[in-house]
Amino acid sequence: MIGLLQNLVDAASLGSLYALAALGVGLLFGILRLVNFAHGDFISIGAYALIVPSFEVTAQLFIGTWSWWLMIPTITLIVVIVALISDALVFRPLRRASAPTLMIASFAVSYVIQTGILLVYGARPKAANLWAGLDTPLMVGDVRVPLLQVITIVATLVLMAALTLFLKRTRYGTMMRAAAEDFRMAQYLGVRGDFVIGLAFAISGVLATAVSLLYLSQTGTLSPTMGVPLALFAFVATVIGGMGSLLGAVVGGFVVGVVVIMLQAYLPADLRAFRDAFAFTFVILILLVRPSGIIRTRALVERV
Amino acid sequence: MLEINDIHVTYGRLRALKGVSLSVRQGEIVCLIGPNGAGKSTTLAAVAGGVVPHRGTIVLDGKPLAAGRPEQTARLGLSLVPEGRHVFGTLTVAENLRVATYMRRDRAAVAADYERVLNLFPRLKERIGSPGGRLSGGEQQMLVIARALLTRPRLLLVDEPSLGLAPKIVDQVYEILLAARKAEGLTLLINEQSSHRILKHADRVYVIRNGHIRLHDDAAKLADGEAIKRAYFGFGDEPAAADEPEEEAA
Ligand SMILES: Nc1ncnc2c1ncn2[C@@H]1O[C@H](COP(=O)(O)OP(=O)(O)O)[C@@H](O)[C@H]1O
Ligand SMILES: [Mg+2]
Repeated sequence: MIGLLQNLVDAASLGSLYALAALGVGLLFGILRLVNFAHGDFISIGAYALIVPSFEVTAQLFIGTWSWWLMIPTITLIVVIVALISDALVFRPLRRASAPTLMIASFAVSYVIQTGILLVYGARPKAANLWAGLDTPLMVGDVRVPLLQVITIVATLVLMAALTLFLKRTRYGTMMRAAAEDFRMAQYLGVRGDFVIGLAFAISGVLATAVSLLYLSQTGTLSPTMGVPLALFAFVATVIGGMGSLLGAVVGGFVVGVVVIMLQAYLPADLRAFRDAFAFTFVILILLVRPSGIIRTRALVERV
Repeated sequence: MLEINDIHVTYGRLRALKGVSLSVRQGEIVCLIGPNGAGKSTTLAAVAGGVVPHRGTIVLDGKPLAAGRPEQTARLGLSLVPEGRHVFGTLTVAENLRVATYMRRDRAAVAADYERVLNLFPRLKERIGSPGGRLSGGEQQMLVIARALLTRPRLLLVDEPSLGLAPKIVDQVYEILLAARKAEGLTLLINEQSSHRILKHADRVYVIRNGHIRLHDDAAKLADGEAIKRAYFGFGDEPAAADEPEEEAA
């Protein structure tokens, strides 16, 4: 029983990271029909921006040593700028391109960012110790909950609530929902397409930053491809959640988190190495039952 | 106020417009009629910036419109109600209406317009909090017209307002359009597939078929419907060359 609760906490914390990553991917898909493979690399940028550029194996924190109230906005700003630059340089010239073309362009962006990191920081994985104090466990009954996991889950809930309020209660949020549903019609009503898309990139940058910081403080390792598995699981989450629905992205993120953690915990030891293969098999099963995902909609935000 | 000069539009290899010219003067109601696939929607979309003509110009109030810039065109006082009622189904009626006002700078006037437009559409007032997708077809048609009015257009383009609606509802839609025209001093360019309803309201009529304008005259002179019928179906007095197959390469 304790073991199960422990696993559920782990699943909620990992699921939070996937849900945040999936929200960033889902938002861009909702507005632009872009499957953004570079989202994982936005996450990597957020982590690498914390450290001093060098080829050393042990990363020396630079911005990472600042207090959180200065560090978080600075890193967010850096990632948002990278996201906006990718839009301006790559995706804006492709506004009339098909969805597959956009996706291939995002592979190119991903490759460029990874190569950039490689040139500045070297190819080897690095150890970095961000927010070392946060791994002290809280005991809830007999369940040991690392403070960091609590922060991860709370931060995710706060970001999700903030995004929902933004989309439902503000004029820019309303523009985004309108554009996600019928982009051309929104333009006919004077909504500037490039502005709405830029906003979506900026928000996906904010969400990526949150994943960068939380993920790095959990794993303590940086590598030029660190964002790739996160992006992959985020896509899986958006696909099983239902492409185009943000609620779907979140649900999908948590489902993937639960599946991965439960497989990790309950697979026989000699099969654990194939955990992800089992996870993807499970995903295929979900899609066989519900081919358009768990939440089927054209709405960014569902009404409740 | 609007001059369309010899515009050509292709979709891939399909030539949808093969040199369409049309003009609308301030205060007029102009109707563009033609069978399904004639190029009516394409003409309006080209004016509103939704499709880019590869030849020809569109001039609004003496200034050429930038092609393919719908957000810009909307700011110049031209609003399109596209075919098929593009309601934002998950946004409430109020949100649908508000989207149309976000580009406007005259905040005080927006609030007044919002009230005034809702008074034109009492049914929308009743359903102000419902998602647009839950409205009936007639209500949706009212909503997209009300929404377009809130951009404060001087020229309103309406693409087949009667499509898929019961005749009684169509009458209501036209009543509203005419009332709005009077109240707002609108100029109207309306697409329809059939002339029988529009003929009594229109000042001038254009008939389009297969990407060409086949006929254009004052509505009063076309009242018996004979000339329209000939142009519409392509009987009789036209040059045969005008009926070339649509698929020919651009
Ligand atoms: N988005 C599109 N892609 C390809 N062909 C189109 C598109 N829209 C319209 N067409 C074609 O262009 C021609 C004119 O269409 P349209 O302007 O919609 O005519 P109408 O509104 O008079 O029915 C038709 O043959 C139609 O099939
Ligand atoms: Mg049409």
